Amino acid sequence: MGNGIQAIHPFVMFFYYMCLGFFAMFFNHPIFLLAGCLALIAVNLSHDGGQAMKQWAPLMVTMTALIIVINPLINSRGMHVWFDFFGKQVTFEAMLYGVVTAMSLLMILLLFVSLNSVLNGNKLLYIFARILPRTAFLIMMSIRFVPLLKRRLTEIQDVQRLKGMTMTQGTLSERAKSGMSMLQVLLSWSLEEAVETADSMKARGYGSGTRRPYIPYRMTKSDRRWLSYLLVAFVMCGTGGFMGYGKIVIYPELGLLHLSSLDWFVFACGMAVALFPLFVEGREQLKWNYSI
Amino acid sequence: MELFNLNHVSFSFPNTDQHVLKDISLSVNEGEFLVMGGASGSGKTTLLKLLKRELTPTGKLEGEIFYKGKSISEWEERQMVKQVGYVFQDPDNQIIMDEVMQEIVFGLENLGYSTFEMRKRVAEMVHFFGVEDLLNAKPSELSGGQKQLLNLLSVLLMKPRVLLLDEPTSQLDPVAAKELVLMLERLNKETGMTIVLVEHRLEELYAVADRIVLMESGEVRYEGDSRQVIGELYADRATQFFPYLPTFARLYMEFEQKPIIAAIPLTVKECKQWIGREERETMPVEAQSNQLKEQWILEMNDVFFQYQKKAPFVLKRFTLRIPKGQFFAMVGGNGSGKTTALRASLGSIKPQRGKVRLNGQDMKKMKDSEWLGKIAYLPQNPRTYFVQQTIEEEMQNVGERLKLSNVTERMHHLLEAFGISHLRTRHPYDCSGGEVQKAALACILLGEPEMLFIDEPTKGMDPVSKQHLGELLYSLQQSGLTIFMVTHDIGFAASYAERCAMMFDGEIAADGTPDELFKGNYFYTTAINRATRETKQPEVLTYEEAVATWAVRESI
Repeated sequence: MGNGIQAIHPFVMFFYYMCLGFFAMFFNHPIFLLAGCLALIAVNLSHDGGQAMKQWAPLMVTMTALIIVINPLINSRGMHVWFDFFGKQVTFEAMLYGVVTAMSLLMILLLFVSLNSVLNGNKLLYIFARILPRTAFLIMMSIRFVPLLKRRLTEIQDVQRLKGMTMTQGTLSERAKSGMSMLQVLLSWSLEEAVETADSMKARGYGSGTRRPYIPYRMTKSDRRWLSYLLVAFVMCGTGGFMGYGKIVIYPELGLLHLSSLDWFVFACGMAVALFPLFVEGREQLKWNYSI
Repeated sequence: MELFNLNHVSFSFPNTDQHVLKDISLSVNEGEFLVMGGASGSGKTTLLKLLKRELTPTGKLEGEIFYKGKSISEWEERQMVKQVGYVFQDPDNQIIMDEVMQEIVFGLENLGYSTFEMRKRVAEMVHFFGVEDLLNAKPSELSGGQKQLLNLLSVLLMKPRVLLLDEPTSQLDPVAAKELVLMLERLNKETGMTIVLVEHRLEELYAVADRIVLMESGEVRYEGDSRQVIGELYADRATQFFPYLPTFARLYMEFEQKPIIAAIPLTVKECKQWIGREERETMPVEAQSNQLKEQWILEMNDVFFQYQKKAPFVLKRFTLRIPKGQFFAMVGGNGSGKTTALRASLGSIKPQRGKVRLNGQDMKKMKDSEWLGKIAYLPQNPRTYFVQQTIEEEMQNVGERLKLSNVTERMHHLLEAFGISHLRTRHPYDCSGGEVQKAALACILLGEPEMLFIDEPTKGMDPVSKQHLGELLYSLQQSGLTIFMVTHDIGFAASYAERCAMMFDGEIAADGTPDELFKGNYFYTTAINRATRETKQPEVLTYEEAVATWAVRESI
């Protein structure tokens, strides 16, 4: 566990990310999406100072730029023509559509970067354990094998290299052949060892009756409060969305970009959802600094 | 009260006439600490598995096994799972889940306990073990000793009445092994838990055990109180079991004119009392630096290595020189970087700074093919060596790779010399641990290497096989092979190596002959050395040394 957002019940967090995913894919007003992206950037900054985001930044920037540039070049639907580009009409609508799509995708990417650092490993698995217990258990066991197999493979490589079998030198077919032999050794060795793992499971009563999973997370009062907060904000924002607020018509002709007061209300609800981690962290900070 | 009662139990695996266990009658009493010993293949593990119903191997079982007066097969399944706990040999294989917390509650989940009950038990046991800080770790990040403690913990959470352990310390370094034994002793004394332990390294267990059972080829040969068993062994002159006895007891039985069974020393303290204390001025050892311009076969100068950019250095200013023809052993605790040093000297990892020279040539600048066959490596798990279906095919393959002439002749010679000719058509996985090791050694010696690297060769070996291996390595060295061994078995290093070094915190802390290095240490030494320090007899490291140097030798 941890502080702030890490201490929130995984289910609440999962609900938050689902809401945001809906937000990113449902609304297409540029202001909404821009605000959503900025909110998520702020959320990511609050996790780790943007460390994880930095790794993804090059990909995100290139992707956004490419979509914005390419869409108007290959798509000439729309009424407001900007200029001619080698005989193709570049329209304002296509341009805007590119921007909206790019922001929507960017928002989802940012969402996953955040999800990755908050709902890491077991928390995510815990959510799925409720829905698919067997699959979750299988995934858990498989994850356990990754470092084990990696270590064994290094060991095999060390040994086989001195026998002249290597994957770093020689022709392609030689390398492939040595690689296969090493994998074969890894497989037979691991199978042999896995017999003991199976024994260990049996010895501890696996399959002796119904299994009751251990529940490591408890829904606290504040978790419940946050969940209802998210629920209320999301329902209002969703209803607004279905009634057509926060959306614009792009094709065939661009509609009004003007936002009505009801639009602004839906927008506020959406932001209330998107900025939820910041509220949690902020509240924690305030408590730390100003409580007696 | 009798917990287990074995009534004329015999067992054989399917499709063989050979009995693994022959007519065994044995009982285990409530609250007892029972230790079982014997050579590999003597049926200890099979016997232990028969006591745990879920692990009973397929085969023909004769006779009956009773648990609390009722036949073991009549008990309800979940009851047996709960009441009999089992800890395996390999620390890694028995871990199932990817998180420590998930792992320790695994058994409880299977038995359908409520989360409340699980929390309660975890809170209590984790505190008793003092491993709170490990709860959120990944099992792959733990050391071997921590893993084995975790395995013990997850079994204990099911609150078993009896705990069965199959060589739980064989994969651990001496310090971690001692810790585990201490934990078992504490459990036995404080909670009255019944413990049945199968083990090779019996030395310190004689003092802990209530009863010792020694097995040989499927039969119980000796059974009883530690001292009584030792007495009987000497009365019968059962020399095949002598390596399983604590060194103190052996010395006592050999040197005492009229040995009394009740006075056999089992601990360092008792041994010191028997020999008699004598204050002696301890001289700080001056290692003789052999600055002779010898021909170095392996030179490592100021080697630095880290696995990741921001990770701490595993090797720091690591310097090592091994002259031609030396048997060099490096000891050190888990995580001191021994294995990393070995891998660096093999060229498996490239150090960030510093040079590794083999025969005067820089290893970084050499191609793999250049040292092919010149250096040989016997890994911790020799099974990783074999790619082919049989040992013979493997050797042929090695011969082809190294383009050797007269492969068949050399092969016969080596197999003969190692006494494994009968295994040549076997698959390496069908041989015992010691046999595979010998087979792998035979394969790598086929190319007549100049230098042999060995990683932890004595892991999980019984004392007799250990002795065979030591003698084999010694004779190889005598015939001119340079050996670089990494081990945490100090007794083994002291008996066979010519020069030893102790590794600590990424560099070699001390380097000298076994005598210079190990005599006078508290932990990094053999038990017999601790017992003979400041006594009337000369300080020794091994039993053989004592026999050779001690003054009064009256045979019994």
